[in-house]
Amino acid sequence: MGVAVLLKQVPDTTAKIGISGGRVDESSITKWSISPYDEYALENAIKLKESGHGDVVAITCGPARAAKCLTEAAAVGADRLIHILTESSLDSIQVQSLLSAAVKESGCDVVMCGKQAADTNSGSTGPGLASSLGFSCVGGVTGVSMEGDVASATRLGPSGLEEVEVGVPCVFTFDKGDTELRRPNVRGIMMAKKKPIDSLTPDDLGVDASNSKVSIKSHSSPPKKQPGQKFVGSESVPEVVNKLREEANVI
Amino acid sequence: MAYEALDFYDIDSLLTEEERMVRDMVRDWVEDRVLPNIEDACRDGVFPDEWRVEIGEMGILGAPLKGYGCPGLSYIAYGLICQELERGDSGVRSFASVQGSLAMYPIWDFGSEEQKEKYLPGMAKGDLVGCFGLTEPDYGSNPGDMITRAEDKGGHFLLNGAKMWITNGTIADLAVVWAKLEGEIRGFIVEKGDEGFSAPEMKGKHSLKASVTSELVFQDCKIPKDRILPDVKGLRGPFSCLNNARFGISWGAVGAAQSCFNSAREYALSRIQFGHPIASFQLVQNKLSWMLREITKGQLLAYHIGKKKDDGSWIPEQISLAKMNNVDMALEIARMSRDIHGANGILDEYPVMRHMANLESVKTYEGTHDIHNLILGRHITGIQSFTREP
Ligand SMILES: Cc1cc2nc3c(=O)[nH]c(=O)nc-3n(C[C@H](O)[C@H](O)[C@H](O)COP(=O)(O)OP(=O)(O)OC[C@H]3O[C@@H](n4cnc5c(N)ncnc54)[C@H](O)[C@@H]3O)c2cc1C
Repeated sequence: MGVAVLLKQVPDTTAKIGISGGRVDESSITKWSISPYDEYALENAIKLKESGHGDVVAITCGPARAAKCLTEAAAVGADRLIHILTESSLDSIQVQSLLSAAVKESGCDVVMCGKQAADTNSGSTGPGLASSLGFSCVGGVTGVSMEGDVASATRLGPSGLEEVEVGVPCVFTFDKGDTELRRPNVRGIMMAKKKPIDSLTPDDLGVDASNSKVSIKSHSSPPKKQPGQKFVGSESVPEVVNKLREEANVI
Repeated sequence: MAYEALDFYDIDSLLTEEERMVRDMVRDWVEDRVLPNIEDACRDGVFPDEWRVEIGEMGILGAPLKGYGCPGLSYIAYGLICQELERGDSGVRSFASVQGSLAMYPIWDFGSEEQKEKYLPGMAKGDLVGCFGLTEPDYGSNPGDMITRAEDKGGHFLLNGAKMWITNGTIADLAVVWAKLEGEIRGFIVEKGDEGFSAPEMKGKHSLKASVTSELVFQDCKIPKDRILPDVKGLRGPFSCLNNARFGISWGAVGAAQSCFNSAREYALSRIQFGHPIASFQLVQNKLSWMLREITKGQLLAYHIGKKKDDGSWIPEQISLAKMNNVDMALEIARMSRDIHGANGILDEYPVMRHMANLESVKTYEGTHDIHNLILGRHITGIQSFTREP
């Protein structure tokens, strides 16, 4: 029993990202937050706990600063906090190995995470973790409820909603639904501050976190948006049509 | 774009994690709930009831008070809460200041055990709203000469008189009212629905439009004997409440100023005149630099007096200085920001004119700017100059 919720700390979606020397300059990022889809996973994990499915174990993998997202999770109701402390950059397989070792250690039979992280957008963690744990996986859900050992999840399909039933153990990756995220309150924040964080190293989990096979070689800013063009009067119509055809390739 | 509060001297690094989390919680709430709705609230002249509920749910009311369901946060955290609320609107901060510092605090400090248990838990949750009745139509800066009287009728007290300019009055479930009993100022708790008590709203404000301001009228108002605050007599009662509220205002003003600065900076960078962003002109940069300088000084003042509140080493005159300076600074910044926005500055699309109008009230309430000058003048010279009598 129990729900493990995986939280990744990413630059806030509203933060300005600076690049220096071909890499994202972390010191330029003024605000770090829980990746938005993970917040929906957290909300649903707490809902599941409220309906009686064991405790919520929040797990994050990242440098020291990432501990903040565990405290934030505790402030809204996470019961146990696990921080896999990693300072080097890891590839997806390494992250999945670390997370699956931590999930095993937590004893949880349900895992919830975002469908993709706001920084890498790669979407590999949930399915990769399920495969390394041998759990079932349902992706892109917006809500989960449990009846005994069977979970029913709502999935946003391309043309409507899909209800999926799946037995535990399983992994759910979350999409943004219309679930309202709860706000923390002072009481929660004060309790969160007292909650211990289990800090584990890759060694503690028996995972080799050196020599990642995939590494990012460089980052660059997206090309600057060209200024808009203005056309006045009906005499400009042929020119606009021409531009739409030749430059924008839309007609 | 994300709101980046001006923090030139990195006050952030001096905060505890808990203080930062509380600040961010309130900041997010203001961003989500206040900013999109504040202009409607002002236009309608209402303090939306859902704000009361949500502020209560966040658990920030009576922030520094301990026990009886109160949060028990540091004074720095209380200051940060005020700063974030007032970055939204001074009216929202006023709601919280009055509830926490002016209504909960006197019950917490001077109330009987029964009074504390009866009122404080509900007030901390926002289920019960309080107000603070000191000012009268004829006695503002000089509350010591108040007319409102209480008489001991054996089985009950009888209150007669009127209070004016009372924040939260009409929406309050209880009023902490200061009145003279046998010539001495005492605090009384009057509940909504008490015989002979009414609280009509004052209309027509050009300032603090999203805050409820009321008269309190007592016509042979009968209240039980156990509604007197047992543990304080004289002006010390209301003044000790004001110390806490003024402290909060010194932080709140920083929030309003940060909001005006942000808007001015963004506007100056995007507004092109004479072929260049106005931010590139030296006169405009001088204004922005002046704002940065004054806000930074105000922040340091607020932070330092917060630390002194937390360790108990403060004196009231230090709070007077912080309230006076920071409100004055915020008002000047609001005006300067309005100027940088040109004509756009008068529109409700930008927060500056609203802050500017609000801050005129903030300059007057909780001791007018000049009353704080007189408090400091007395401190410096040892000579009181409030009145001509010796
Ligand atoms: C929006 C709003 C909300 C308020 N909420 C509350 C509330 O919740 N509870 C409450 O009790 N009160 C409240 N007040 C009242 C507020 O505290 C008073 O307005 C304030 O104390 C000033 O009193 P006054 O308006 O009567 O001005 P006055 O005292 O008449 O002052 C007028 C002017 O004279 C100056 N002045 C007065 N005396 C001297 C002197 N000796 N020397 C030099 N200058 C002097 C003042 O500085 C001011 O410039 C509120 C006011 C406003 C505007």
